[in-house]
Amino acid sequence: MKKIINRPETYVDDMLSGIYAAHADQVRYVNDDLRCYCTKNKKEGKVAIVTGGGTGHLPLFLGYVGDGLLDGCGVGGVFQSPSAEQIYEISKAVDNGSGVLYLYGNYTGDIMNFDMASELCEMEGIKTRSIVGADDVLSGEPEIRRGVAGIFFMYKAAGACADKMGSLEEVLAAAQKAKDATRTVGFALTPCIIPEVGAANFQLKENEMAMGMGIHGEPGIWTGELKKAQDIAAECLDAILKDMPMAEGEEVAVLINGLGATSIEELYILNSSVSKILKEKGIGVYRTFVGEYATSMEMAGASISLCKMDSQLKEYLDYPVNTPFYCQK
Amino acid sequence: MGRKVITVQDLPQLFEKVAENMADHAAQLCEMDAKLGDGDLGLTMKKGFSALPDIIRTIEEEDLGKVLMKSGMKMNSVVPSTMGTLMGSGIMGGGKALVGKTEMRAAEFADFLTGFCSGLENRGKCRRGDCTVLDAFATALDWVKESLSENDLVLTMQKAVDGAKAGTEATKSMKPKFGKAAVHANAATGVPDQGAVAGTYMLEGMLHFVEQ
Repeated sequence: MKKIINRPETYVDDMLSGIYAAHADQVRYVNDDLRCYCTKNKKEGKVAIVTGGGTGHLPLFLGYVGDGLLDGCGVGGVFQSPSAEQIYEISKAVDNGSGVLYLYGNYTGDIMNFDMASELCEMEGIKTRSIVGADDVLSGEPEIRRGVAGIFFMYKAAGACADKMGSLEEVLAAAQKAKDATRTVGFALTPCIIPEVGAANFQLKENEMAMGMGIHGEPGIWTGELKKAQDIAAECLDAILKDMPMAEGEEVAVLINGLGATSIEELYILNSSVSKILKEKGIGVYRTFVGEYATSMEMAGASISLCKMDSQLKEYLDYPVNTPFYCQK
Repeated sequence: MGRKVITVQDLPQLFEKVAENMADHAAQLCEMDAKLGDGDLGLTMKKGFSALPDIIRTIEEEDLGKVLMKSGMKMNSVVPSTMGTLMGSGIMGGGKALVGKTEMRAAEFADFLTGFCSGLENRGKCRRGDCTVLDAFATALDWVKESLSENDLVLTMQKAVDGAKAGTEATKSMKPKFGKAAVHANAATGVPDQGAVAGTYMLEGMLHFVEQ
């Protein structure tokens, strides 16, 4: 393991104190707990959106806390859920009197903790609703799918709807709309190392890749020889479009996401093929996002997400946002 | 021989025994977990149960049920992983069933187990036969009910451990519905559910305390 750290066990809190030091004008923590991450900008009457999940995926999850997006984030240990108590404390701090939407990834530990937090909020008179991102096509049937980079589109839709003073039900519906329209396929080239474990949780040979691998190293559908970018793009898009068929003339937003160690150059190489294939199929591209949106520490690899557009989703997607990790004018 | 009753004051030592038993089996649990999950189950169980005695000592409360409820919640904050949350929810559920009680005898232990199972079901959204920790605790409860007329805490807890072992054994032939084990369903066949194994160690640790 070769990482810039102090001690493995202080990895998360050292990272957080660095973030608070850099962005004290925009974010704060509550309950005397660095892991209870909240925006500084409260907006009277706005539905609050709280996310959360394990550390190791920056800018996911906390990077989307800010204007036009989310209000709070429970920060867990590396690849671990935050606790119910933390989520509850954040909810109390960010609630503006109009209820709280819990929007996070479809993982067992996170679901149990958000559900427990929701029960605690109920006792306190804070209304909550929940929705999970589950966009990873190759991880199984729709209801058990993992949530990966595509949650970005759910954040954008829910965040815009909430900022425009939509009700809790409307914000939930916006997130659901983006969820229904989004699919992702990802692949890995090298593993990552959990600091406290100190060793990689899987191995890939120098010339190998793992198609469909999850952002915690969950096994994919095949491991084999590294393909050309154009072939990888074609396989990912095939899987997505098989799951979410699209007709000629329809439009998508494209998200090419790097997993941490893959260069932005490579991501654009991938996008070159993606845009070509979509064009051949007669599918229009409304907007393209290329960069790191949901990583897995120093894992190499990428994911491709498509979000099928309609006029409302376009409006949500174009809505300006500003967080320490992500700005869109 | 052994104890006839567990009081609020006994709770820290009770869970110290559980923590000891988890520590003794931590390596085995981690190894089981590494085959299907992320390999930290033993560490999580050891960390969570080791934290309980101190958590309980800080709770100023005479009501056995309330102490258990609060400590289950705090334990979840220490280990918010899947199994940590399930165990915490089980203890909270068990505590809920004992609100108003100041001591636990055989009958109250049965109530604790009943509440523990409800806590697991509600939090994990699981049912018997889903190949989870619930299969250990629900079978433990069945066996405990059969021996309740004896009104003997040690005997009842022994029954719970034996029942949990039988319930765990039965998970070998079940098809996992949840978590990473479900993804690796083929690799999980013929192997007992690791959560059920951990649950059995919890009850075994409790038995070690009352046997003293």
